Amino acid sequence: MLTNFTQTQIDGLLPAFLHINRGLEITAVGSAISRYLPQDYIGMHCAELFSINNCEIGHFFREWQGVKPIQIDLRNHDLSLNGTAVFHEDGCLLAIRFVLSEKAFANGSLNLSDFGHSDPVVLNTMLIVLQKAMLEDAHATVLELARERESSADTFSRTSKVAGYMAHDFNNLLSIIQLNADRLLRLAKPNDTTTKLANIIHETACRGAQATASLMALSQQRTGTLNLISVDNIIKENFSILNSVVGSKVKLSLNLAAEKYKCVVESNELLSAIINLLINARDTLPNGGNISLSTAGGSEFSGERSHMGPVGDRNFLSIRVTDNGIGMSNALLSRAFEPRFSSKPNGTGLGLASVRNFLVERGGDVRLESKIGKGTTVHLHLPAQFDTADGGLPNKPNTTRILLAEDEPYALEAMAEMLEAEGYIVSSCQSGEEALEALEQETYDILLTDIVMPGLNGTEVAHRATANQPAIKVILMSGYVPDRASLQPGWRLLRKPIDKAELLQLISG
Amino acid sequence: MYGMIHRAMREMVLEKLGEEVWLAIENRLKIGPTELLTSMVYDDALTFEIMADVASRFDLTVDECLTEFGQYWVKYAEKGSLSSIMNFTGQNLADFILNLDRLHLAVSSAMPGTRLPSFTTLHKEDGYLSVEYRSDRMGMEKFVYGLFLGLMARFGALGQVAVASRGEKFIVFDIRYQDRR
Repeated sequence: MLTNFTQTQIDGLLPAFLHINRGLEITAVGSAISRYLPQDYIGMHCAELFSINNCEIGHFFREWQGVKPIQIDLRNHDLSLNGTAVFHEDGCLLAIRFVLSEKAFANGSLNLSDFGHSDPVVLNTMLIVLQKAMLEDAHATVLELARERESSADTFSRTSKVAGYMAHDFNNLLSIIQLNADRLLRLAKPNDTTTKLANIIHETACRGAQATASLMALSQQRTGTLNLISVDNIIKENFSILNSVVGSKVKLSLNLAAEKYKCVVESNELLSAIINLLINARDTLPNGGNISLSTAGGSEFSGERSHMGPVGDRNFLSIRVTDNGIGMSNALLSRAFEPRFSSKPNGTGLGLASVRNFLVERGGDVRLESKIGKGTTVHLHLPAQFDTADGGLPNKPNTTRILLAEDEPYALEAMAEMLEAEGYIVSSCQSGEEALEALEQETYDILLTDIVMPGLNGTEVAHRATANQPAIKVILMSGYVPDRASLQPGWRLLRKPIDKAELLQLISG
Repeated sequence: MYGMIHRAMREMVLEKLGEEVWLAIENRLKIGPTELLTSMVYDDALTFEIMADVASRFDLTVDECLTEFGQYWVKYAEKGSLSSIMNFTGQNLADFILNLDRLHLAVSSAMPGTRLPSFTTLHKEDGYLSVEYRSDRMGMEKFVYGLFLGLMARFGALGQVAVASRGEKFIVFDIRYQDRR
């Protein structure tokens, strides 16, 4: 038998309780409900104050006994209560509580004091409202973070551009200093003071070039030179690095057969692409296996290039990376080049996408072949030039005509003098427009032009030059390439500050 | 303290001093949206650091600023998505304070890790309340003082709040007020 509760104690538990006697008259009410009843509610017939939804009031004591669920509506108020009717010999205790509607919660027509301390509905309702508020704040925070990220990206982009322009300007100045230091060296006698001073100036300018290289890295500019290089040589020279990339469990074999073919690429970006492919291949061989890296040139792979459109008489070099790993399904193959897509748990999804970008930028393409359980082969194709059998240099001094365009007069003068000293026939122009005029009047073997110039820029000059004189060899010079995609495959790119040996090699190669 | 406090501080600065001032505070303290996550519990040191900086921007002492912020806190809760919970907690000053612990019970369930204070109405009569404030966090007396002033304003009451007594972890406030409504 439980303790008999006093009215105050019942009120503490159920502040909206009601008690009626067998004559259906109100005999006691809880503090929460009393404020909704007339002042003299004791003794009133309950039908005057509320209706019972799930029972006829007249049948209440006749049909119900024991413990029954009950729902009531207060008359003259938009409030409902539900709970339990507990019958006893003197009457019935309605152990009920207010139905907490969204409206009653929001407008304050009910408040916490109307509910018992242990009422779970109240706590749950408040939790829902709090969580809704937290979600709204979280949503606002997400938007703020997105805006902040956008703003940071914008700032970074602007900083990168500024860094790029600064690098360009510094590289131009350093170029002038280096070229004129070279002039001094040519004029001075060995071992005299002028030679010593010119060497100091040259060396200091070289150190300055390292600083601008950092600025270019900040502007996400590549700093390598686009030159005609032998892919086979690059692979051979870096074999130990490539071998360490695949790891000790994997055997890397080389089959290089393209030594007579050369491609215009940055050696670092080529190496980076090959390393990416080797890493992918290695990751398909967790228990070891074989990877073969092979090259071939010319017609050997002509049958595989049909998807790249008409090839004409251009030579192509093919690099092939084959593994005997787990292979890829067709579904995986179809998404393999998708940026940010990766089948590896920690993959960035950037490897193959960047390989393809590099190849497309250089006028080539990439293709994948794979069979589940058999392995994968990646074919890279690059436009190539076939080395002449005697290895002779096509651009010999004394016969080679160079059209030189550079808007910096000191750099123009120094470069022209240097090239003439090497025996080349040089026509100097101080703008893109002047260069176009010269191209209309004469045929040149080489166009050597700065990229960033006021008015017509070097890239535009190069496009027009190759359209009018298809055989012309284009060498672009710049400390900053604003739009790398505008460079045509096959064009050489020389980074400023100009290195004399590199320039001469590009011209003669 | 939980991030909702930081959000309210920001709102107070934005409202009264403008966005530039808040950005300067964020910049000086190296904080951003990630320090304003409503349900995240942050080190009290960060909250007091923000408060100290906010106080200096308002040219107030930290105690004065805490009082201002206590009053503002009520307004902040009123206008946001918590307004329904404020209405539900009580329709007059006495009921509201009486139910504050129940409100805090729900808050601590929604935001685990929060250390919320407790308010007990020791004595209640017309126009007078004696309320014991208990907290394991020191230094918030002026905030609570401002909070009571803010609640009086919310319910259209005029009056004074005074400290009647204090112990190591509690303060008893006397609130004398007159309802205007």
